[in-house]
Amino acid sequence: MDEFEFSRSVTVGQYIPGASFIHRMDARAKILAFMIIIAAVITTPSYIGNAIAFAAVLILVRLSGLPIGYLISGIRPILPILVVYTIFNFLFLGNYDPTGSAVLFRTPVSLGPWQFAFTVTDNSMRQTVQGVFRIFDLILLGSLLTLTTPITALSKAIEGLLAPFRRVKVPGHEIAMIIAIAYRFMPTVAEELERLMKAQASRGADFGRPGRLQFIQRTRQLVPVTVPLFVSAFRRAEDLIVAMESRCYVGGAGRSAVALDRFTSLEWGALAVSLAFTIALSRTPFPL
Amino acid sequence: MTDAVVEVRDLWHWYLRGTPLESVALKGASFTLGAGEVVGIMGHTGSGKSTLVQHFNGLLRPHRGSVRVFGNELGDRRVDPRPLRRRIGLVFQFPEQQLFDPTVADDIAFGPRKLGCDHAEVRRRVQGAMAAVGLPFETFKDRYTFGLSGGEMRKVALAGVLALEPEVLVLDEPTAGLDPRARRDLLAVLRGLHDERGTALVFVSHNMDEVAELVSRVDVLADGKTVLSGPVREVFRQEGRLRELGLGVPAATELAAALRERGVALGGDVLTIDDAVEAMWTSSSSPAA
Repeated sequence: MDEFEFSRSVTVGQYIPGASFIHRMDARAKILAFMIIIAAVITTPSYIGNAIAFAAVLILVRLSGLPIGYLISGIRPILPILVVYTIFNFLFLGNYDPTGSAVLFRTPVSLGPWQFAFTVTDNSMRQTVQGVFRIFDLILLGSLLTLTTPITALSKAIEGLLAPFRRVKVPGHEIAMIIAIAYRFMPTVAEELERLMKAQASRGADFGRPGRLQFIQRTRQLVPVTVPLFVSAFRRAEDLIVAMESRCYVGGAGRSAVALDRFTSLEWGALAVSLAFTIALSRTPFPL
Repeated sequence: MTDAVVEVRDLWHWYLRGTPLESVALKGASFTLGAGEVVGIMGHTGSGKSTLVQHFNGLLRPHRGSVRVFGNELGDRRVDPRPLRRRIGLVFQFPEQQLFDPTVADDIAFGPRKLGCDHAEVRRRVQGAMAAVGLPFETFKDRYTFGLSGGEMRKVALAGVLALEPEVLVLDEPTAGLDPRARRDLLAVLRGLHDERGTALVFVSHNMDEVAELVSRVDVLADGKTVLSGPVREVFRQEGRLRELGLGVPAATELAAALRERGVALGGDVLTIDDAVEAMWTSSSSPAA
């Protein structure tokens, strides 16, 4: 891999055109269906249930026609956090097990003034494994949504889904606009970061690894990159404001859509299937 | 050429290789730079100019083909490009966007400090770099970086690279977005660097007039390939080919061509205003002849 190619790891905010039914589906239905599946993912309490939910997510990825390797590359940046989180959960969660399930393993540790214990119980083990499954599920589903939906469709869908809450003064249009702009600029900022790191490397900066745990050195190395990055982000924001105001942008009040999209059998079908999946998963008593 | 400083042979480069967004930027580009030479790289937007020059100091690695810099083959992943970055200064497009230190002198001193120079040496290099770009040291050293004008900021950014005292200076569209006076100043600075310090220059541009004025040899890139290469006079003689590639010829050359079409006998190659004046005075149709 090339030393400075960051755009490669930014898979969120990209849209990859395709012809699958996931691409073709109305974005509102897609968001709702994914939310229903996420409900299944985060409520199923058993190992088998989690494995089934993970398999279902993988099948969805497969159906979208996107290269699975590309989606997985979006996970790589958070992998260290995931590993640390999992290790800590595995070793310590059992100390705080409120269910009183069977203790599988317990070792007291004394490290100088600190006294603590590594405890693994039946329930903490379960939660640790589920945590990993769920994070993978959520990242894959989230990437799947953004990779198969153009950003305009996504923001329109968010606006549409928030429309019923307008009565309680939820600014649906504005929220959709903020999300759209944030997504739109993620790849841009990644490119900018890449350009700045190259430029500073060209004048002597060294972004090599100063040793794994030298956070201060690492942070100091990044000052010549973060300062200009913020300067340009603010400049970009100002340009955007001027551009929006010169087009008389006043928010969502009084705006209406050119095309009214109605759900077809595809959208209703997708919603029905995901709902059925979620109910089936939550009702089935898995042995493990 | 045996004393080539940068030698690029059949270079290929892909962006985001192995992803669905993969795109090929270079499809067999070549380039040679001798010690102390001034070479231009022309080509319209998307022709691969910036990608090519980022190979010169190892910011990008060749995916196919070879890049030799000071005798080091950068295709070999074991070659550490960092020492080369001190000898080849690369100035990015809109370099004023890379400034980060609140005071001018501190920003310029970033490079020398990273090299581990002592205080006196840092000071000497900063003074030298500021003198080279025409910023008086005493007036500018403590100025607030982000309060400077665009042209001044660009000079500070250029000084930041010059403070590394590179043997080769690569500039990616250094005059883009500058007003005519700042442009002229900058070109004069570059010419001074070459004439006084013998710095080799690689000048990336699509401004034909500047290329004609500054460089002696020029390479033209189109669609990731080197399509024309040679002394600047020979390249600009191929007006038809350059137009096909979405480029043009210098204004003076265009003027000379228009005059010739109307029957004015102008001799020699006309690339710059000076050439044009000279050709007109010596023309057989001139009242002076």
